Amino acid sequence: MPFNSNATRPSGLRKSDSDSGARLFVALVALSLVMFTVSVRQGAAGPLAAARNVFMTITSPVRYVGSLVSLPFQGLGNVVSNLTADQETLQELRKKNQDLTARNVELEEAEQTARRLQELLALKSSYSLQSTAARVIAGSVDSWNRTVTLDKGSAAGLAVGMPVSDSAGVIGQIIECGPATSTVRLITDEHSGVSAMIQSSRAQGVLRGAADGTLHLTLISTDQTVAVGDMVVTSGLGGVFPKGLPLGKVTSVNRSDGALYYEIDVEPLSSTENNEEVLVITSLTEGQEADAGDIAAADAQDSSIVKGVSDKGSPDGTSAAEDQKKKGE
Amino acid sequence: MQVNDTNKHRHDSAWLALLCLVLQLCLSPSLALGNGHINFSLVYCAVVSLTIGGSWGVLCGFLAGLVFDLSSTGPVGLMALLLTVAAFVMGMESRNRLQDDSSAALILFAIVCFLTCLVYNLAMLLVGEASSLLDVLFLRSVPTFVLTALSFLPFAYFLSRGSSSGVGLGMRGSHAKRVGKYDIGRL
Repeated sequence: MPFNSNATRPSGLRKSDSDSGARLFVALVALSLVMFTVSVRQGAAGPLAAARNVFMTITSPVRYVGSLVSLPFQGLGNVVSNLTADQETLQELRKKNQDLTARNVELEEAEQTARRLQELLALKSSYSLQSTAARVIAGSVDSWNRTVTLDKGSAAGLAVGMPVSDSAGVIGQIIECGPATSTVRLITDEHSGVSAMIQSSRAQGVLRGAADGTLHLTLISTDQTVAVGDMVVTSGLGGVFPKGLPLGKVTSVNRSDGALYYEIDVEPLSSTENNEEVLVITSLTEGQEADAGDIAAADAQDSSIVKGVSDKGSPDGTSAAEDQKKKGE
Repeated sequence: MQVNDTNKHRHDSAWLALLCLVLQLCLSPSLALGNGHINFSLVYCAVVSLTIGGSWGVLCGFLAGLVFDLSSTGPVGLMALLLTVAAFVMGMESRNRLQDDSSAALILFAIVCFLTCLVYNLAMLLVGEASSLLDVLFLRSVPTFVLTALSFLPFAYFLSRGSSSGVGLGMRGSHAKRVGKYDIGRL
C-alpha cells in the first residue's frame, strides 16, 4: 500500500513541503502548549475535561471488547506457574487447603451462631450499602496512574468522589465521570489516601499507595498496638468511605528509633481485573459514617502523640505531629 | 514525473491509526513492565513520520499525541506537543526512511522514543505528579521506552519489506527499488 507512486521530488516541491511542514509544526506546537497550560490550570473542569469525557464515552465499546478479548490471557501467568510448580509448593497448597477447609467449617458454625444472635438482637447488617453495580472495562493506559475504567457514568447516577468496592474490599474512588464511563483511582495509586484503622486495636491512620503498587499505613503512633496479620479497614473519617470496609492486611511493622509513627506495609485484599464486577457506593447511611466516638478516638490519638512529644522535651515535636496529621487528611 | 497520491496517504494513515488506537485502548493496559505501558501513539507517529514525513507526519503526530492525552488521565496537550516535535524531527525529509536506511531509522526512533518518554515523565514530575527522579527514570521512563521500542519492531520489519512484498505504507519509485545495505528484512 504505497503512499506515493514516485518519491523523487523536484527540489522546488520539497522546499515547499518543508516550508508548509515547518509552519504547521509551529502552529501545532503553539496549540499543544495552549492546551497543556489550560489543562494544568483547569484540572478536572473545563472544555478539555469535557472533550476527554466525550472521547472516553465514544471509545468505551472498544475498551469493552478489548477487555473481553484479553480475558482468556489474564490467567496465563497462573497456568504457567501451576504447570511448573514443584512438589514442595504443591504440598504447601494441600496443607493450606486443609487448613482453609477446617477454617471454613469453623466459620460456617460461627456464621450460624451470628445469624441467630442477629435475629435475637434484631441487628441490621453492617454493610447495608447503597450502591450501583458496574463492570471494569479497562485499565490505565499511561504509566502515571493506577486507574480502571468502569462501564457506567453519570447517566447511571455515578459521580466524582464515590467510593468503589469489590467483593474483597475497597478498590478506589471515582476521579472522573463521563456520561457512560467513569475512571476510578485505585487505592494502590501513589496519589491515593484513605482514612483507615487497624480493626483489632482501632488505631487510626491513613492508607497510602506507592509507585511500586504497595500500600503503606501511615500516621499510626508508636504507642498503638499493631501486629503482622492485623486487618486494616476504613475508618469512615472524612465521610467518603463507609466505616468498616476491608482494605488489606498488615504484612510488616517497623519502628524506627525516635519515630512518632510506625512504618506499616499493607497487602491489598482486592485485585482489579478486566470484566470484574464492582460496587459503586452511591451514598452513605448514618451508621456508615464515623461517629463522635471515632472522631474523639482520633483526637485522643493525636493528643497522646503531642503529649508524648512534649514529655520528651522536643521543642518542635508538637507542630511536626500536627503537620503530619494534617498532611494525611 | 511525480505522482503524489495524497488520498492514498490519508487512506492508509487512517487504517494504521485505527489499528494503533485499538491496540492503545485494548492491548496497552494489559501489558505492563513496572509502571510502563506501550505507547502506540508514539509507534504510529514514528511509522508515519519515517515513511511519509513532512507536514502530514507532523499532523499525524499531533493527532496521535492528542488521542493519547485524551485516553490517559494526564494533562491534555503534553504528549501532543512531544509527538509533534518527534514527528517533525523524524520526518524532516519527505521520504521513506524505513526502506531507504532501516538501521538509521531504527536508531533515530530509539533516540526519539527514549527522549519522548523521558521528557514526558520529567514534565509530569514538574507538574507535581511524582516526587522522585529515580521513580521517573526507572519505574516509568525506561519500562515505557523498552516496551514501545519492542512494539515498534514488528511495524518496522513489515514496512521495511514493503517494496518487495508489495505491501507497505511508504513511498515507491527510485527509493523503493533500492534495497538498503542495512535492510532490516535481511537481518
